[in-house]
Amino acid sequence: MNGMWKFTVRRILIMIPQVVLLSILVFIMAKMMPGDALSGLMDPNLDPATLEELREKLGLNDPWYTQYIHWIGDLFHGDMGESFRYKMPVSELIGQRMVNTFWLSLVTLILIYLISVPLGIISGRYNDSLLDQAITGYTYIGFATPLFIFALVLLWIFGFQFGWFPTGGSVTPGSTPGTLDYISSKLYHLLLPAISMALIGTVGTVQYLRNEIIDTKQKDFILTARAKGASESRVYNRHVLRNSLLPIAAFFGYEITGLISGTVFVESIYTYPGMGQLFLESITTRDYSVATALTLLFGIAAILGTLISDIILSLVDPRIRIK
Amino acid sequence: MRKTNWTKLFLAMMLALVLALAACSKDSGGSKEKADGGDSNKGKTEQKGGESEEGIYSIEDFPLVTSNNAEPLEDGELTYGVVTDSPFQGTLNTALYSGAVDWETIKWFDEALLDADADFNYKEGAASFEVSDDKKTYTFKIKDNVNWQDGKPVTAEDWAYSFYVIGHKDYTGVRYDDSFRNIKGMEEYHTGKSDKISGLEVVDDKTLKMTFMDPTPSLLAGGIWPYAIPKHYLEDIPVKDLAKSEKVRKKPLGMGPYKVESIVPGESVVLTRNEDYWRGKPALAKLTVKRVDPSVVVKELEQGKVDMVDSFPTDQYPDNADMKNVEFLGNIDMAYTYIGFKLGTWDKKKGEVKPNPDCKMCDKNLRKAMWYAVDNDAVGKKFYHGLRWSANTLIDPAHKSWYAEDVEAPTYDPEKAKQLLEEAGFKDTDGDGIREDKDGKPLTITFASMSGGDTAEPIAKYYIQAWKQVGLNVELLDGKLHDINSFYERVGEEGNDDPKIDIYQGAWSTGTDVDPSGLYGRNALFNFSRYASEENDKLLEDGLSLEAFDTAYRQKVYKEWQQLMVDEVPVFPTVFRSIVVPVNKRVVNYSAEWEDKEPFLYQLGVSEKEPVK
Repeated sequence: MNGMWKFTVRRILIMIPQVVLLSILVFIMAKMMPGDALSGLMDPNLDPATLEELREKLGLNDPWYTQYIHWIGDLFHGDMGESFRYKMPVSELIGQRMVNTFWLSLVTLILIYLISVPLGIISGRYNDSLLDQAITGYTYIGFATPLFIFALVLLWIFGFQFGWFPTGGSVTPGSTPGTLDYISSKLYHLLLPAISMALIGTVGTVQYLRNEIIDTKQKDFILTARAKGASESRVYNRHVLRNSLLPIAAFFGYEITGLISGTVFVESIYTYPGMGQLFLESITTRDYSVATALTLLFGIAAILGTLISDIILSLVDPRIRIK
Repeated sequence: MRKTNWTKLFLAMMLALVLALAACSKDSGGSKEKADGGDSNKGKTEQKGGESEEGIYSIEDFPLVTSNNAEPLEDGELTYGVVTDSPFQGTLNTALYSGAVDWETIKWFDEALLDADADFNYKEGAASFEVSDDKKTYTFKIKDNVNWQDGKPVTAEDWAYSFYVIGHKDYTGVRYDDSFRNIKGMEEYHTGKSDKISGLEVVDDKTLKMTFMDPTPSLLAGGIWPYAIPKHYLEDIPVKDLAKSEKVRKKPLGMGPYKVESIVPGESVVLTRNEDYWRGKPALAKLTVKRVDPSVVVKELEQGKVDMVDSFPTDQYPDNADMKNVEFLGNIDMAYTYIGFKLGTWDKKKGEVKPNPDCKMCDKNLRKAMWYAVDNDAVGKKFYHGLRWSANTLIDPAHKSWYAEDVEAPTYDPEKAKQLLEEAGFKDTDGDGIREDKDGKPLTITFASMSGGDTAEPIAKYYIQAWKQVGLNVELLDGKLHDINSFYERVGEEGNDDPKIDIYQGAWSTGTDVDPSGLYGRNALFNFSRYASEENDKLLEDGLSLEAFDTAYRQKVYKEWQQLMVDEVPVFPTVFRSIVVPVNKRVVNYSAEWEDKEPFLYQLGVSEKEPVK
């Protein structure tokens, strides 16, 4: 266990410069974008002098490194600044949205595993059968389909044509937080986006699992197990699966990273107010404080994701553990 | 770090990402200063936008008011969709909001103390007013039955308080401008020299007297801030924290027909009837305002998930003109599209335009020829099915009293364009079909245009082609269209005009006040063409003079100004625009009129329990 800890600590230490570098890159790139938070407001009824005064007040006229140092300094005090567009603290804004994204991601993740594990197992166990071909066919189509098209199509069919699901928002207007109605309404609203993300998101896992199983099936120890006279189900459940699922568990961390990019599209299409949607919006409206805070969060989530993957991997596979 | 290739690459990446996402509609989100919306015109026209044979529509054929004449249900409920590709900002206060989107919620629970007439001039509303002879002092009297939704009366203090908030040095909104600086003692208050605004005098509970230093007719055309904010409710909160306070974001208090019941941040607001509303009992028991993404507006309307929406993309109208359950209202928009010629730069120190006498586009006949060379009538018909149409002047027809319909402006005439160019010395000397400049050197004109929507690219291409036909070589800036942010930055919204740009295509949504000096004045940063002349200065000044309180005089001035702009062509208008407003057939008493008159918002109702599907 000691080695595990060392490994984890080392990984976390490596994370720090990664995050710092990320934050600088993010900040510079955000500042390089043409326009600023006020340019979207431009209209003849607004006085340019007023806008200029505001720019000065908001520090938008300072050189980027001054702004960066301010930003980093505040960040260490837990202050991510204020969103210009929403006129509220970024942490509060992100907090509001994060709840939505969290539930969406969680349900998606559950769906992904609910779908992909059985499919992967069937496909691997009966490889080259008609069933397997159907499943692989699905994964190929899934690979080729862009999420934002797929999500739109699902919304069209199940949201509008059949009317089975709500077509936007995260909850029915007017429901009281905390009530059962509220919770079920929330779940109802995130089901369709989650399904559309999951149906595309399973693809990698299914393929991965299938290949693992086919691979393991031919290993010597399976032959041995068979030779010992173990039943087919015992061979699969005790020997093949256990070995094939390990890499899938390790894949979990990367799955989180994938979800982040997924939510960016899906939330926009389903007008579901989450972080991905907020991210896109903050870029188009040049709401720097939000954009940088979110990129940083996403970056950290991605780095954490790989960290979790590595840790799981080292937990389940002692060979990887670092001395 | 400004304009490296890096910037471009990054922008390209970002654009690709943004574009990949559902067709985001970049609706210009015009700022509607005045309480718009609620009103109508009893004169009825036919049911649907009249369609001529070729699928061309005319905005004049659209009704202004819903034709459903049934009595509204006693306790009807209605869903109002706000079309936007991003969540509500949720700054629910008249002094603090900045996007047009929040206004779509605010207008239901709060309203201006003054109404606007057909010329967007103030008229008596919740308050009446008197103007002193020297036009400097305005005395407002708030009616006795005007109350906040918590039962407290709306007082002169409340109105004055909105000035104290907007003028405060910690105020972070965008409303503090010349019209506020014009109030006596405002600047002293704003800079902290005084803690009272001397030009605001609370005479008694219901009477407020405002004194201005420099009276102009603009004051009554939206130049006086017409909104009160509940002082008793908000005065404990420091101005800098107002925008993020719970009382603004979650429990806003207004004086409008409906009161806020509950809010889901970013997505929806539920409002209920304000029994105590001063104009009368609101028709609906419950009103839901919810966000609708531009990509699904049509579906939402078709299925009755919303009864009406705040704005409808006109380019989707032709495909949906026959939607069975919806009636389309329409009106002329307060906006125009135009093409501008760069005639100088911005002098940041002096804060004024600096015309460059040797600029590429300086020849008036070249500019005029470019106007003659393009067929805006065809642009309106081909790309907008007649819902935009060829424009002749820089004051749009929505400003009825000021729009000079009879100003003679160039219309499509390529022969005339060629002739003008020949006479001005732009001749094709090397026989390649492209004209050289006066010195016989190759002439390439760089054209900046915005991306967004399906029509942006074909229209830009059409213009380039049309100019080529008269022998002018026009090329897109960097060979492509630019997104709205980078476009305006390079055109000069901060005064850093990109010298590469020779001409550009932009659009303005105009305010209630007709005065164009914010867009074409010598000191106007938004005067992107950087045109200035003494004649122009004079006319703009005359339009704001004391004499101009006389409407006839002001009309004459602005007519001359419109003529001057046609003669000088610093920019030329291309098309005027219209708005179409779809409403479910069960909706009664709704109007697309700009003016505040019957039916008002509180009269809006529904004639059936469920939306027509």
